[in-house]
Amino acid sequence: MLSRHRSFHWLDAVLLALLFGAAGFVAYRITVHLNYTWNWSVLPQFLFRYDRETDRWVANYLIQGLLTTVRLTLWGSVLALILGLCMALARTSRSLYWRLVARTYIELMRNLPPLVIVFLFYFFLADQLMPLLHLDTLATRVSPFWKQWLPLVLAPPEQLSAFCSALLTLAVFESAYVAEILRAGIESIGRPQRDAATALGLTHSQSLRHIILPQAVRRVLPPLAGQGISLIKDSAIVSVISIQELTYQGTQLMASTYLTIEVWLTIAALYFLLTFPCSLAVDRLDRRLNRKR
Amino acid sequence: MELNKQSINRDEVIIVAEHLVKTFPGPVLALDDFSIRVKRGEVLVVIGPSGSGKSTLLRCLNGLEAIDSGTIVIDAIPLDHHESNRLAIRREVGMVFQSFNLFPHLSVLENINLAQCLVRKKSKPEATRTTRELLAKVGLGEKIDSYPDELSGGQQQRVAIARALALRPKVMLFDEATSALDPEMIGEVLEVMRTLAEEGMTMVVVTHEMGFAREVSDRVVLMEAGRLVEEGATEQFFLQPVQERTREFLRQIL
Repeated sequence: MLSRHRSFHWLDAVLLALLFGAAGFVAYRITVHLNYTWNWSVLPQFLFRYDRETDRWVANYLIQGLLTTVRLTLWGSVLALILGLCMALARTSRSLYWRLVARTYIELMRNLPPLVIVFLFYFFLADQLMPLLHLDTLATRVSPFWKQWLPLVLAPPEQLSAFCSALLTLAVFESAYVAEILRAGIESIGRPQRDAATALGLTHSQSLRHIILPQAVRRVLPPLAGQGISLIKDSAIVSVISIQELTYQGTQLMASTYLTIEVWLTIAALYFLLTFPCSLAVDRLDRRLNRKR
Repeated sequence: MELNKQSINRDEVIIVAEHLVKTFPGPVLALDDFSIRVKRGEVLVVIGPSGSGKSTLLRCLNGLEAIDSGTIVIDAIPLDHHESNRLAIRREVGMVFQSFNLFPHLSVLENINLAQCLVRKKSKPEATRTTRELLAKVGLGEKIDSYPDELSGGQQQRVAIARALALRPKVMLFDEATSALDPEMIGEVLEVMRTLAEEGMTMVVVTHEMGFAREVSDRVVLMEAGRLVEEGATEQFFLQPVQERTREFLRQIL
């Protein structure tokens, strides 16, 4: 590996001066020439508000949106992982049929704009599949226990159907990327390991489960975690189908308050608060795995 | 040990391989109408120049490579398209690879336990008992909780031998088991193989260690271009080879 220079060159000083100059110019243009009245004071109440009835601070639009984003991401990741694993196994299968099925699925999902997939799936799922599952009626008849927990774990009953189709949509297109990452991992485990497992009398599925997959997953853990972070950001897409996650709440708030820049800066900060710690965690994971090897 | 060898019925044939043909894309003819029989308890050494099909022969014997035509029968089980027969043969045939091929994510104990539990359906304590016994046999009892990358090449190969023995196979295949080792580690691996031979294990050994071949084997086969050049009892093979090609080959390597 290349050694890192930590010395400070005079060229670095010039570059820094240029950067500060550019930043200063932008700030100057915004404060002086941009015809915009800043109003940060009303924003905090959209994060948390004081509920007089229960005498408590409760989450308002933006934090509610953030929590929905977190729920979408968590469940979406789990689903994408399961679907992606199935597709990766099919993609590396010995049967031509399964390879073709997986290839078609992965190429379709990766070569269509996510926005288009969202619309296609949403209108199909919400119109056709969800009524079949009777999610709406199911949601209204849940026990008191679930009435309390459902909004925390998934979504409020009246939004359940839409939330589930958004979840499925996200999982479906994210799983194509997960599948490709897992496939790369599986294929990186060489012939010798398969040979050793086969020679010991293990069946194909036994060698997959005990030899190939444990090593493959360990190898692709960092890119897999990175894909999870991508999902946090990609979940913004489902705002177009009115899922009340962070970006959707942002557009609503902006429409009612006209505080365009404040709202979007806040939204950006909230996303960053969510993704940056995850990125740092992936970084550490990456370094730990590298050290072990 | 003499007794041990004689107590086994020496005439019973355990491996019958006839008219084996194997081509690789290219096309390369790796096995060209090759036939061989191995008796129970016999140690057969296969030698030949590189690319002569020795490794392919071993890999075909336990079905790691599919043959294009020919028949293989091991311990009365035919190696055919039935998956159950293939699995049955692999239970009876242990294999040791040139590059060890230990499972790096599993400890030595887990490496050796794995097939016992999955293939022989043994309980974990039962498997662990066998594993301890086998590790003691290859002289690595204290390495039971180590991981493969903490072991030297020679130690890894001895663990690999213990792993192959864990299913109590009737035949052991050695595919250049010492070729990837530093010279000072070859001895310890050959020692384990020698002990196995003395215990009456049926072995098919591909090797470049001529000293070992002369000392341990009962019979030697010279292969070239997928064909059998000469076979004979060890002493006769080395002292009075019939074929001119054999004499030339032996001159080159001895």
